[in-house]
Amino acid sequence: MAHGHGFGHNSPGGLLRYPKEPPFPLKEYSAHYDHIFEMMEELEAKGEILIYRITEENQPVEVFTRTGRIKTIPTNKLWHHKSCGQCGNIPGYPASIFWFMNKFGLDYLNEPHQTSCTAWNYHGSGTSNPVALAAVWLRNMHQAWKTGYYPLIHCGTSFGSYKETREQLIMNKELRDAVKPILKKLGRLTEDGRIVIPQEIVHYSEWVHAMRYKMAELYQKEGKAKGIDVSKVRVAIHNACHVYKMIADDYPYDPEVYNGQRPAASAAVVKALGAQIVDYSTWYDCCGFGFRHILTEREFTRSFALQRKLKVIAEEVKADLIVTHDTGCTTTFEKNQWIGKAHGMYHPVGVMSDVMFAALACGAHPFKVVQLYWNCSNYEPLLEKMGITNWRELRKEWEDTVKYIADLEKAGKYDELMEFFKEYDLYEPYSRTSTGKPKASATANIPLFKS
Amino acid sequence: MEGHPYGYNLPISEKTKAVPWEEKVRVVEEVKSDFRYKEYIFGCLNCGVCTASCPSNRFFDYSPREIVQRFLEEDVEVLYDMMHEYIWACSQCFTCWIRCPFVNNPGGLVAIMREVAVRNAFEATKDLLKPYGRVLLKVMTTGNQLSADMLQPDFFPDWGPKMADNMENLRAKRLAIPFDVGKSVKTAWEVSLETAVEMYTIWRETGIFEMLEKLDPNLYNVIMDIVEENEERYEDLYEEEE
Repeated sequence: MAHGHGFGHNSPGGLLRYPKEPPFPLKEYSAHYDHIFEMMEELEAKGEILIYRITEENQPVEVFTRTGRIKTIPTNKLWHHKSCGQCGNIPGYPASIFWFMNKFGLDYLNEPHQTSCTAWNYHGSGTSNPVALAAVWLRNMHQAWKTGYYPLIHCGTSFGSYKETREQLIMNKELRDAVKPILKKLGRLTEDGRIVIPQEIVHYSEWVHAMRYKMAELYQKEGKAKGIDVSKVRVAIHNACHVYKMIADDYPYDPEVYNGQRPAASAAVVKALGAQIVDYSTWYDCCGFGFRHILTEREFTRSFALQRKLKVIAEEVKADLIVTHDTGCTTTFEKNQWIGKAHGMYHPVGVMSDVMFAALACGAHPFKVVQLYWNCSNYEPLLEKMGITNWRELRKEWEDTVKYIADLEKAGKYDELMEFFKEYDLYEPYSRTSTGKPKASATANIPLFKS
Repeated sequence: MEGHPYGYNLPISEKTKAVPWEEKVRVVEEVKSDFRYKEYIFGCLNCGVCTASCPSNRFFDYSPREIVQRFLEEDVEVLYDMMHEYIWACSQCFTCWIRCPFVNNPGGLVAIMREVAVRNAFEATKDLLKPYGRVLLKVMTTGNQLSADMLQPDFFPDWGPKMADNMENLRAKRLAIPFDVGKSVKTAWEVSLETAVEMYTIWRETGIFEMLEKLDPNLYNVIMDIVEENEERYEDLYEEEE
C-alpha cells in the first residue's frame, strides 16, 4: 500500500501515524515520502537534528494527507512566515489571516527577523542552489524555534519548496554536511550542534482547513448579522501547484471533499461556509504563473490563464468567484482579465484566496482588511451577491482614510499622524520582535515616519 | 527540417554544433552529478501524460517527456542544446511530477539544468534573464522578491487601468493597513538588518554571488555595493550596542 505500513501503524516517536482504517479510497502507487518521518526520528536519536515538535500549547488539529497519514496542524502560538508576493502585491491576503488570528484571540508572533524562502527566484531564474535554499529555510526555522512559536508558512511556493528541501535534507547526508557549517557560522544550530527541523511543514491554508468550522461559526454569528449571505455564491476552486503538486503526499485530503480524491483545504472552508462549489474540467491545470513568465514573458501567462482557466470557468460553470490558496494564482487570474477584451475573451470573475473570502463572509471590512481596492478585476458584483451592498460607502471610508494620512504626511504633520494611528491601529500585536534589538531594516534608513 | 529522430523537433543550433564534444559531455555530467538527479528520474514508458498536462507545452515547443527521454537516451547533443533556450519554457508547476506513473520529476530536472546553465554563464541564459534583473536585485539585497514599488503601471499596461489607481498614494495606503503586513513600499515587509546580513553570508558561502557575477557583472556590482553598505551599517550598529 501507498502508506507502506498498514493502517493503525504508529512510528516509535509518534511522528508517523495512520488511522485504523483508510479515511477514503487510496490510490496504489509507490510513494515513499511518509518514511521521512521515521527517518527524522532516527536522525534525532543519532543527535543530528532536533525536531521542533508541535505541542498541546499549539492546540493541534488532526487532518489526513493524500496517503491517509494523520497530519498535525498547529492552530495557536504561531510564528508567521510571511509571503513576499502576498505582502507586496495582495496585502489583504495576510491581513485577512491576521484578522482571523485576532478574532479567535490566538497568540502569534509577526516579526521582521525573517526573509522570504527565495524559492520563487530559484524557480524563475535558476540563480540559487539546494544548499542555499536549505540554509535560508533552516535559518528561518531556527528563528521560529528560538522564539517558541511554531512556523506557519503563508506562501505556497515556500511551503512546496520547504517540503521538498526537508525531504532532500533527510534523505541526503551530503546536503546536511554542506549546510551545517553555514548554519554554524550564523549561530543557527542548537547549542549541541543540531539542525532544527519542524515536525510538520504547515501552510496557512491547512490552518484555514483546521479552523473552518470556527470560521463557519463566526460567519453565522457575525457575518449573517451584517446581512451577508454566501449561499448563492458560485465558487470555482483553483488549487495551487506548489502547494499540492510538490511533495504531493503532504497536503490535506478529506472524505468531505470529492471523497478524498482532490486537495481538501480551500474547498472545505468554502463548503463549511455554505457557498456553492462548482466543478470545471480544467481544475487540475496550473494558472500560467510560471515564476519567470508572470514577470518577463506575460503573453504566455495571460494566454494560459484566459484560455485554460477563465474561459473554461465562465463557459462551463459561470462562477462568481475563483478561490485560490496562493499568491501567484491569485495574481495571475486577477490581473489577466482586462487584457482579454483585446481578444474578445473577457470573462470577468472575482478572484481571491480562501482566507480573504472567509474574512469577507465573516464581516471583515472589504477595503481596510481584505484590501480589495488592490484588485484589477471586478469584485463589486461578488460583494453585491454576498449582500455587502454598502461597499461604496465602505470604499469611500477607506479612501478618505488614505487621503487623510497622505495629506498629513505631505504636510509633515507627523505628530498628528502618530496620534491618528494610536486610535486607528487597533490590531495588536502590532509589531512584536523576539530579540528586542533595534528595528533596523535592510531597506536602509526608512523609518515608518520621518520624524 | 532537421530534427531529432525521436521527436525533439528543433534543429540543433549551429552554436551547439560548434562546441567541442568534451565540453558538452562535461556540462551534461554536471547536471547528472547533482544529488537530486537520481531522485528525479526512474524510468519512462513514453506515455506522454506529463506532456499532455504540461501548460508550457500548449504554447511553446516544449515537452517534459522529451527531457526525460533525452536523459535516458544519454543524448548529450540534444540535452546541451536544450539547456540554452528550451528549458526556460518550463512553468515549474510540477504537474508532470504529480501525474507521472513512475514519479519522474521533469520539472525538477529542468531546475537542475537551469542552475547549471546559469553557473556556466550560457549566453542565452544571460539574454533571457536580462529583464529579470530588478527581481534579482531585490531578492539578493533585501530577502524579499517582490515589493509594492515594483508594480509600476508602466511595466504592467496589460493589467488594465486600475493599476494606476492602485499606485496612487501607495505609501499612505500601506500605512493604513491595520496590521504589520506590507507596511513597507520598498520591501514586502521590513526585513531586519541582522537577518539580511545573515542571508548575505548564505549567498557568499553557497556561491550565489559568483553565479550572479557570471550572469550579469553590472548587476553584481550594484548588488555588492548594497550588500557591503548594509554589512557596514550592521557592524556600526553592533558596535554601538557593545
